[in-house]
Amino acid sequence: MKAIYKAGDIVLLGLHGVMVHKVRSALTVLGILFGVWSVIAMLAINAGASYESQMALRELGSNNIIINSVKPPTEQKASEGRSGHHGALIYGLTDNDVRRLRANIPGLQDSVVVHRAAKTATANDRRINVAVISTEPNYPRVVQTDITAGRFISSYDMLRYQPHAVLTQGLADKLFPLADPLGKTVALDGDPFIVIGIVRQLPATLAGTSQSAILIPISTDRAQFGEFNIEFSQGSITSEKVEVSQLILQMANDDGVLEGAAIARNLLRRFRESQDYDVTVPLELIEQKRKQMQLWNYMFVSIASVSLLVGGIGIMNIMLASVTERTREIGIRRALGAKRRDIVTQFLVESVTLTAIGGTLGIAIGLLVPWVVQKMLGFLTIVTPSTLFLPFIMAVVVGLVSGLYPATRAAKLDPIVALRHE
Amino acid sequence: MKELVRLDNLWKVYPIGVDGVIALADINMSIHQGEYVAIMGPSGSGKSTMLNILGCLDRPTSGQYWLGGENAAVMSDSELSEVRNLRIGFVFQSFNLIPQLSLVENIEVPLFYQGVPRHHRHPRSRKLAQMVGLGDRLSHKPTELSGGQRQRVAVARALANDPLILLADEPTGNLDSRTSAEIMVLFDQLNRRGRTIILVTHEEDVAAHAHRVIRLRDGRIASDEFTDGRALA
Repeated sequence: MKAIYKAGDIVLLGLHGVMVHKVRSALTVLGILFGVWSVIAMLAINAGASYESQMALRELGSNNIIINSVKPPTEQKASEGRSGHHGALIYGLTDNDVRRLRANIPGLQDSVVVHRAAKTATANDRRINVAVISTEPNYPRVVQTDITAGRFISSYDMLRYQPHAVLTQGLADKLFPLADPLGKTVALDGDPFIVIGIVRQLPATLAGTSQSAILIPISTDRAQFGEFNIEFSQGSITSEKVEVSQLILQMANDDGVLEGAAIARNLLRRFRESQDYDVTVPLELIEQKRKQMQLWNYMFVSIASVSLLVGGIGIMNIMLASVTERTREIGIRRALGAKRRDIVTQFLVESVTLTAIGGTLGIAIGLLVPWVVQKMLGFLTIVTPSTLFLPFIMAVVVGLVSGLYPATRAAKLDPIVALRHE
Repeated sequence: MKELVRLDNLWKVYPIGVDGVIALADINMSIHQGEYVAIMGPSGSGKSTMLNILGCLDRPTSGQYWLGGENAAVMSDSELSEVRNLRIGFVFQSFNLIPQLSLVENIEVPLFYQGVPRHHRHPRSRKLAQMVGLGDRLSHKPTELSGGQRQRVAVARALANDPLILLADEPTGNLDSRTSAEIMVLFDQLNRRGRTIILVTHEEDVAAHAHRVIRLRDGRIASDEFTDGRALA
């Protein structure tokens, strides 16, 4: 019981030491405050950036494997590109590749094929360059977009080569700013299509650069526009043949993704003559990004920790000065029965109190700053309990460590010498 | 009367130079309960060393120091702290009060390190303050008190733990003659009430209050006699 009273009293004594030297304590606290503050701010801003990039990747679907056809570099065209008639450039995934991939990847839940082309859409006397995305009925489910009006392309549309089209919300607003687009006609390079539905914007990373996209059945595309994409630009005509621009393989769960991707890469390597495709695995990217962000986190925290360290040195400095200044008092206390550990406790409590106050204020400001950054600069910041707790614990540990040396120095003073100290 | 202090073949040698400096050489003495002893001697005679050892601030190089039946010569630093805390009351020449503490808080420092709770410490230190005539200045800081008052506070503090021996080191060294006399009257009263007092001083006037005077010279006891003239057996 007495020991508890004594321990409590010595803690109070340490707190008293902080209170007596207000200016000195305040300045010391500042050092820790800035350290804690910067650690929290760094963690919060980095966590926000990390979250945003992860979300962008998650939009691609973490259980998806995306294979895009890639136009070979120009210098390779002559040698490696397969040339058809009229000197058309033929590259990319073929229906055969798609069939092979669909048949051989275990754990495949769904897959969708996309053929992309640039065309001019005309409606209402408006002409807009659009990305035509020719695809299959399951497209919205695979890329996770919502149909906001009407319906999507159906199997029936596919079978009957129906000239039906689905607009993205953005395109619908441009072509039909005032009217309901459903049932209206849009001409694609002159061929009429009937608008049957509207989808929310497509994920930017999947739709390509243009957000003005129009989706039509892939069967209709092939029947109507043929195999060749012909582009007129700068007085010359280029002609390309790409059977499949993009294949999205959706796995039943995330666990099968890496294995599926390996098999897909293997198959493609075996059957594609040239490297005219690109396999994107969002899960791999997410993982890479996570590791990269973690690295940034370590770097930021270690930079911020330096200021905490400087704060700690400040505390050590002040405590050493305090010990020297109070040598006589230490001598008196020792003569009257204070043990070495009582003196150690007194000075440790003082330094830990300083850092704890600094830590608490640092948390308060550390909470405020990410909020301001988010409001003013538009960065997403994320403050989690551990973002706050970690720097606080670090500060208290700094207080303990930097207080330990001055405290033991105080305790080791010979009471006889200390009593004579002026 | 009961024997409180006994020094047996006590030596203190400071390890300075090749042979060391002998501060105390083969001291043998004993002090009984209720005695009023003055330890005298010129500077360098070993007075201060003697006081430090008696006050358990220092350990002898060899020999035994029996304090209340325990050998303080073989105690650890922590045990010595405890003995100082429980058995010894110190009065210093320069008062040695803690400047940022009030009068009451200064008096209760020894109780603080005993772990006596605040609500028990306060009444006791108030009573002690009243006993030394400072009951009306309880919350004053040492700087707000005169030298004589400060030394009274120091005496009150020395009595807070109800010590076996009251050790005073030149208690009037920093006081004028009038306040010196007042402090000495206080010591005389305490001794009359049974308190064992050991004074270290070089002033004959002060030593004259004691009933027994031990004179040191070159680390040895030169004389040890009662002031009423009878020699110590």
